[in-house]
Amino acid sequence: MLQRKGWKILLLVVFCAIFMVACSDDKKETNSSEGKGEKEPTTEKKEELVVAVNENFISMDPHNTGDTNSNSVQSAMLEGLLGFDDEGQIINVLAEDYSVSEDALVYTFKLHQGIKFHDGEDFNAEAVKVNFERIMKDKSLRLNSRGFSLIKKIETPSEYEIKITLKETYSPMLTRFGVAKIISPKSVKENPADIPKKPVGTGAYKFGEWVQGDHLTIERFDDYWGKGDRVKKITFKPVPESGSRVAMLKTGEAGVIYPVPSQNIAQVEGDKNIQVFKVPSTIAHYVSINTYKKPFNDPKVRQAFNYAVDKDAFIKVVNFGLGVPLDSIISSKTIYYKKQEAYAQNIEKAKQLLKEAGYPDGFETEIWGNTNSDTMKGMQFIQQQLKQIGVKVEIKSMEEGTLSDEIYGAQTPDDAKLQMWYVSWSSYASDVTNATKPLFHSESFPPNGANTAYYNNKEVDKWMDEANSISDKAKQEELYGKIQETVYKDAPWIFLGVDEIVYGVRSDVEGVVVEPTGGLDVKDANFK
Amino acid sequence: MNSVSIDKNEKTVSMQPKYSPVKEFWKNFRKQKVAFIASVFVLLLILVAILAPYIAPFDPYKPNYDALLEPPSKSHLAGTDEYGRDILSRLIMGTRISLSVSFASVFLGMILGTILGLMSGYFGGWLDRIIMRSSDVLFSFPDLLLAIAIVAILGPGLNNVIIAVTVFGIPSFARLVRGATLEAKENTYVEAAKSMGAPHRRIMYKHIFPETVSSLIIFVTMRIGTAILAASSLSFLGLGASPETPEWGVMLSTGRDYLGTASHVVIVPGIAIFLTVLAFNLIGDGLRDVLDPKTKND
Repeated sequence: MLQRKGWKILLLVVFCAIFMVACSDDKKETNSSEGKGEKEPTTEKKEELVVAVNENFISMDPHNTGDTNSNSVQSAMLEGLLGFDDEGQIINVLAEDYSVSEDALVYTFKLHQGIKFHDGEDFNAEAVKVNFERIMKDKSLRLNSRGFSLIKKIETPSEYEIKITLKETYSPMLTRFGVAKIISPKSVKENPADIPKKPVGTGAYKFGEWVQGDHLTIERFDDYWGKGDRVKKITFKPVPESGSRVAMLKTGEAGVIYPVPSQNIAQVEGDKNIQVFKVPSTIAHYVSINTYKKPFNDPKVRQAFNYAVDKDAFIKVVNFGLGVPLDSIISSKTIYYKKQEAYAQNIEKAKQLLKEAGYPDGFETEIWGNTNSDTMKGMQFIQQQLKQIGVKVEIKSMEEGTLSDEIYGAQTPDDAKLQMWYVSWSSYASDVTNATKPLFHSESFPPNGANTAYYNNKEVDKWMDEANSISDKAKQEELYGKIQETVYKDAPWIFLGVDEIVYGVRSDVEGVVVEPTGGLDVKDANFK
Repeated sequence: MNSVSIDKNEKTVSMQPKYSPVKEFWKNFRKQKVAFIASVFVLLLILVAILAPYIAPFDPYKPNYDALLEPPSKSHLAGTDEYGRDILSRLIMGTRISLSVSFASVFLGMILGTILGLMSGYFGGWLDRIIMRSSDVLFSFPDLLLAIAIVAILGPGLNNVIIAVTVFGIPSFARLVRGATLEAKENTYVEAAKSMGAPHRRIMYKHIFPETVSSLIIFVTMRIGTAILAASSLSFLGLGASPETPEWGVMLSTGRDYLGTASHVVIVPGIAIFLTVLAFNLIGDGLRDVLDPKTKND
């Protein structure tokens, strides 16, 4: 009996101890965060801005970068002949002016004078030539296959003038001149191995230090040729865990976070110390339908699918209400975008179309997608929507590599097992070629391109080829207008929505912008 | 084994004209309060599983995009999920799936395991060695890892989950039955049957198998809990039921994105799995106390 009592007392003591420890811990935490909150406003003008992003940086070589975050860091340090404004349209940067010949083969740039690289080298036509030649010669560089391998010759008529001639027309070339940042010719010649680690450019910031996986620091370049006042130092930190990133913004540990995960928006939106920005992106979500296969070879079936899906509900359910319906074959931010009359949900019409196509009772099909939880959600949504018109959809989610093998492993349209694919596409806002040709041209069937809908329309092919071979903007606009109209009507996709990009900035920070492609521009960042 | 219990409960037994093992069991089992409550819970679950389509308040597959992630309320007792589907209805339908998957896999495992165990224990020799060594091979894998490997080979789907969970149950059953068989084999009535020229099959099923039944029952109940957990885990990993199925593991898996914002989506199926597994384990414990001759002698 006594023994039992002893046990009970011991238990009680243990519980009390646990309880007290838990309580005291709580107190400590709240104290410290309160302290921080009070201290902050009293600090003087801050000299370091911390930017937390979702992924690690891969390379600082501007000619060999595929990921958005590396690009964001580079764009504060390096500049191209051209660049992009907040809307994604092409603007002059290092080039004062440029012209394109009528046959779209010769590009002539007039360069700004008196610009110096971070290492003191002069910026001139020769420097540009060294850069472009590096890309042309080295096949392992990402930009090589993106236009630069088509360069026939580079001439420098004067110190500040450069003329580039292509072997064949390539209409996204202007976009590529914006993407290809110019680095110091000295570093290209003397230290090529260092380019991916510490790039030397002409930008507003120069490289500081990079501790892999932890942070990358850039420092203000006081001899910058451009105007404007900016913060002295910017530290980029990769913080993959969404919750931690949001916490950093809330406590002020980070001045900017990108992206704000959609499920956390509510947490920060009411906070007066934080501004949440939402920008329309060029990321389009759609379901690619294999138009080569029965029953999808009948446009009526594809149109029925489009009428069956409620796009607003898609945005609400799958994208947490962030985004706009995809009302063309390209996003509204892409150049030459022409709004089409969207397929508004109409179940009766969808059923009618299916009936006309010979499937009054619907049929069974399958949809493929990767294992990402957002994709899974989207595919289930499609499944629910198509159920309304009697179409039974089976979901097959595959690991990204397997999925890609299954889709791009098919050598001919006959080999393709794909029926529907839940996927997204994004390209530079100024690059309409990349937003259309790989997706709808009959030469882009897998494995050559991403025309996984096997969309085959000779007329559309012809328009695309023509638009790519001319430089007349009005004519291009007209052609792309026709392309959008025809393809949208043919419905090789279930058109879903365009993402919105969400980023959070502390109220005392200004000058930070996210571009439609997802690139973060901190070049003019400053504290208020 | 029976004599001991009769001694203990002399009074009641003497009042009853005829001895019945079922009544005896019932009386002893009722004394195990916790196990008794657990078995009432399980019976209820089975009832829910059978009547699922009739008692679910909503269509568990029907989305309602105007009621996304709603917390529990009067109309939706357990709230709604990310497509606005009623969680309670999905839970009820899920009971049917979870129970049938676990029952099917455990019983299949039991049948195969028992046959192997009986043969192994009864015949001994090389057959015994082959069966037991192959069991050891299977034992050397962690349960879930083995199941994942099997599903990875067969492809995802509920039927394959049943096969996977069955396979990792077989060696446990085989070993258990083999042990009991070795013991029963030495009994004089087995020897008597042998000497009378009874065929092996008859001896195994008529004389030895009944001796293993009580330990089997205990093990099966315990095993069902494990099977539910394994099936849910496989579905959670995306290897089991397809994502739209109201399976508990699937519900847990798709709901985990909303843990911070709408925790009921995860908590409700989580509690369902927890309670069900707990109930089966408690019943197993109670049954052991009642049926196992070793514990009774203490």
